[in-house]
Amino acid sequence: MLPLPTFEYAAPTTVLEASRLLGTPGSRLVAGGTDLLVSMKHRLFEPRLLVSTRRLGLRGVSVADGVLSVGAGTTLREVARHPTVLEHLPSLAAACRTVATPTIQGMATLGGNLMLDTRCLYYNQPAGWRASLGYCLKREGTVCHVAPKGRGCYAAHSADTVPALWLLGAEAEFVSVRGVRRIPVSSMYHDDGMAWLRLEPDDVLTAVHVPLAGRAVGHRKLRTRQAIDYALVLVAVRAPVDGGLWSAVVSSVSPSPIFVEAATPADLAEAAFRACQPLSTHLPAATWRKKMVRVEVARAAAALTSA
Amino acid sequence: MSDSTNEAAGERVVALTVNGDSVRRLCPSSRTLLDFLRVDLGLNGSKHGCDVGDCGACTVLVDGIPRLSCITLAVEVEGLAVRTIEGAGPDEARIVAAFDEHVASQCGYCTPGIVLCLSHLYSEDPAADDEAIRQALGSNICRCTGYTKILAAARAASQREASQPAQGGSDE
Repeated sequence: MLPLPTFEYAAPTTVLEASRLLGTPGSRLVAGGTDLLVSMKHRLFEPRLLVSTRRLGLRGVSVADGVLSVGAGTTLREVARHPTVLEHLPSLAAACRTVATPTIQGMATLGGNLMLDTRCLYYNQPAGWRASLGYCLKREGTVCHVAPKGRGCYAAHSADTVPALWLLGAEAEFVSVRGVRRIPVSSMYHDDGMAWLRLEPDDVLTAVHVPLAGRAVGHRKLRTRQAIDYALVLVAVRAPVDGGLWSAVVSSVSPSPIFVEAATPADLAEAAFRACQPLSTHLPAATWRKKMVRVEVARAAAALTSA
Repeated sequence: MSDSTNEAAGERVVALTVNGDSVRRLCPSSRTLLDFLRVDLGLNGSKHGCDVGDCGACTVLVDGIPRLSCITLAVEVEGLAVRTIEGAGPDEARIVAAFDEHVASQCGYCTPGIVLCLSHLYSEDPAADDEAIRQALGSNICRCTGYTKILAAARAASQREASQPAQGGSDE
């Protein structure tokens, strides 16, 4: 039995009110709750106030001027089934379908996926488990068990939709009491497992805008089981346009996704292999995950070539 | 929409529909939908399994879509329609009959969640094939059966729904 900590709850009806509430100490935004509530049961978060997105009207998909706009509160299930997504952005649909399980895809939101906490073998554990190890740097402790002599937290960026959205040129729209701004998904993240989001606490992610311009992107997720599990290596690859370069985004190997580009698929796989230095944030050996970066990038590129 | 009472004590009135009945209860904001069903309403058909959204034993249908009630707050389904295994209708009964026929339920702890997931699957795809069944059941863990008999039962229930009468135990 893992009871939730006690908290106050608010379900505001405007984004500005949500932002104002999030500006007060100890508050957090909850959308699908599929990761946040588990983390709260593990006492990774003990918010004073939960601010719900459910009455903010952020659910739905629209298409205008060659751009697909997804409300941040749209479930992954709804994104993966949208006809425009299936026709023009199959990599986004594929990424949504690899998240956890079909049931969770019907609860979790696209916005929640972009804002997903970084993950680690020593962090995503029940409170008693963590206490017995003396906690970790990311939560309550002073030592990183992955890299005791390292300089920070190496918890892995694990959001399944982000590598594909990055290469599709998606932008995230945030609203706060300071106004509205759009940030490319490619510049949302820091390489720091404890402060991986370049955002303020009162920034409310309201929508994700994805251009429909036809650049082919492939998505691959390496994991132990084909359901439930988070990624061991997450890869998106984009084919070149007009003689340009191949590009790849690799995630789940560091706190921020890693971008590389190269002239050929073989060079791309090698560049990704060299750029990624996975640590023991997951159970399978880090050396094997590093080798699998090369394999998965090559497979994603091969699938694009043969398509 | 009900105004919250006792908000200072972190308690709120939650009003929703459960198996067709309107329900109102005062409960803490931190009450999960699973505890709301089991503790507040005494509906013990939804099971308390892993508690962290991995196993699917707590699955209920909210507005027709499967949800994990152990990681859903009761306050978050305010105003919505919840269906548990206690609210099973003819669609679920047919799946349960197939489970009986194929001995697909052993300890039974995972069965309510699986039946509701399959019921939702067949509501969208009455003739769901093996691949669709396997995808849907990725949401549910069973520690007894090894899944073979669950798949056989699910296959039988799917074929029946597509008006091809099952031929009886020829799956081995």
